[in-house]
Amino acid sequence: MTMENIYDRAITLGEYVPEPDDDRIICRCEEITKGEIRRAVHDGMYTITEIRRYLRTGMGLCQGQTCAKLVKSIVARELEVSPAVLEPATSRSPMRPIEMKIFAQEAKEVGDNV
Amino acid sequence: MSMKRYDLIIVGAGPSGLSAAIEAARRGLKVVVFDENEKPGGQLFKQIHKFFGSKEHKAKVRGFVIGQQLLQEAAELGVEVVLNATVVGMYMDKEIVVKMGEEVHHFKGDSILIATGAAENMVTFDGWTLPGVIGAGAAQTMMNLHGIKPGSKILMLGSGNVGLVVSYQLLQAGCEVVALVDAAPRVGGYGVHAAKVARCGVPFYLSHTIMKAEGTECVTGVTIAQVDSHFKFIPGTEKHFDVDTICLAVGLSPMSQLLKMAGCEMEDNPRRGGQVPICDEYGETSIKGLFVAGDVSGIEEASSAMIEGRIAGIAAAYYLGYIDKEELDAKYQENQAALAGLRQGMFAPENRGKLVEKTEEGIDVSMNLLEKGFIAEDEIERFPGVTHTKGIHPVIECSQNIPCNPCQDACPKHCIKIGSHITALPAVDENVECVGCGMCVASCSGQAIFLVQEDYEPGYGTVTLPYEFLPLPQKGDKGFGLDRSGKKVCEAEVVQVRTSPAFDHTNLLTIKVPSDMVMKARFYKAE
Repeated sequence: MTMENIYDRAITLGEYVPEPDDDRIICRCEEITKGEIRRAVHDGMYTITEIRRYLRTGMGLCQGQTCAKLVKSIVARELEVSPAVLEPATSRSPMRPIEMKIFAQEAKEVGDNV
Repeated sequence: MSMKRYDLIIVGAGPSGLSAAIEAARRGLKVVVFDENEKPGGQLFKQIHKFFGSKEHKAKVRGFVIGQQLLQEAAELGVEVVLNATVVGMYMDKEIVVKMGEEVHHFKGDSILIATGAAENMVTFDGWTLPGVIGAGAAQTMMNLHGIKPGSKILMLGSGNVGLVVSYQLLQAGCEVVALVDAAPRVGGYGVHAAKVARCGVPFYLSHTIMKAEGTECVTGVTIAQVDSHFKFIPGTEKHFDVDTICLAVGLSPMSQLLKMAGCEMEDNPRRGGQVPICDEYGETSIKGLFVAGDVSGIEEASSAMIEGRIAGIAAAYYLGYIDKEELDAKYQENQAALAGLRQGMFAPENRGKLVEKTEEGIDVSMNLLEKGFIAEDEIERFPGVTHTKGIHPVIECSQNIPCNPCQDACPKHCIKIGSHITALPAVDENVECVGCGMCVASCSGQAIFLVQEDYEPGYGTVTLPYEFLPLPQKGDKGFGLDRSGKKVCEAEVVQVRTSPAFDHTNLLTIKVPSDMVMKARFYKAE
């Protein structure tokens, strides 16, 4: 499978076969298991962005620092592609967890612009 | 809202970021460095071991001292280093948003260097989320920055340099390392790092990995098992250890998200550790004036990160017109040569994952070192640093071609020869008389040099070994000599303990052992 036809939803992945370690937690922050990620692929979530929106993997406190690579390898294995062909999730601000009240609090001081 | 402007904004106050700041500020740029941590230095301040390389790479200087030097140099040049400053976004036209205290601040850089480094990889196994399973880097942060013992009984997964160096530091901190485990069939890091862990008695389990961490509230044990060439567990090979901590040293991934966010062209490059920006030889990305250096552009060592930082800092100065093309070219050539010097030998990027069977000199490498962590007795004699002369003399157990040469300059009698080719194995010139000063022993970052005297007194000889543990044994103490595998092989008496500022905290312990043990005993353990 190549990057283009990852978007080809007509491809069948075969039956979802349970694995003994399906209940192992992969995304610790959001407590998502390996089985849930594998099932999401079988539900038609083929990209990391889709998986993220579907399950919230990588959307917790660590922002995927721990699990991004793990999730990617599980999805790639399920799709039978190399992890390298899977686009990582979109990077957007805030890059680090931040309280909304701080994110909205722009510094007021007049800068010493040069 | 107001927005402050700088000539160069650097994200990350680690080895590459600080090096870039120094080079840029030296050329007149107004530079600020932001770091999300409360202390600067990135990984440098956790590195309590002596670095490898040559003088220009700051060889035999301990990592945290290099960090102090960089910070001081940056301060003298007027570089602003802002800590507890988290860059939360990077936008078009090189604008960044930084969280500082309870506010966000906007900054605009005419050029920007991203030097955010890397994050630790994890592997999963049953029980991997239990408290007590930690990254090796986290263990290093706890003990070397915060003075906290990460655990009492520890299993290390990963035999790369991080796994080896951190295992040694755990031993130094007073922890027991019950096993060093790697799924790969061979030790991944420097043999000298492995050897200093093995001779303390840590068993190596190559072609093994973790099956499960045990415990309900926290880690109380671990089971490992052997794997076949497809990394599948072999039934019946399970081994259990009682541990309270499992350290994972299974590689690093570049923290490159800011670059992706800013729209840099990225690639997934497994050789560089994952998602990295596409950049040119100066570290300039697909966005003009936006540079990268250090682990964020490909996982390497701190030594190369510093040089990449220097190159990027100089390139930023050129980009903004502070220097001409001539200076850029000259400085680039100089730094590139230093970088090339670090990227050669058995551990050069192109040899990653490959088995190098012979040294550059044509000598068979020690397979026992690769499989068990120490050079076997029937292998040791073939290396050029191992000689037998009358009286005291160095025995250099350096068996792999790595770019490192402080031992050559350490000997006041010039009895150690590496030559101009920095990766060559050190050889001992038997025609030059050794005075037993021990400078070579203390200068070896790999702790691979010993002074041996076979005829100290009838029936006894001495071994002088590098010793970096506390409490320091005293003259007259009695204990045991351990061989390269950490096994007790003889009784030993401490006959001399030397410390000196020139040794930089590598103490020299001279032990008296039976004459037939001088080529076997390589570590001392008190009774």
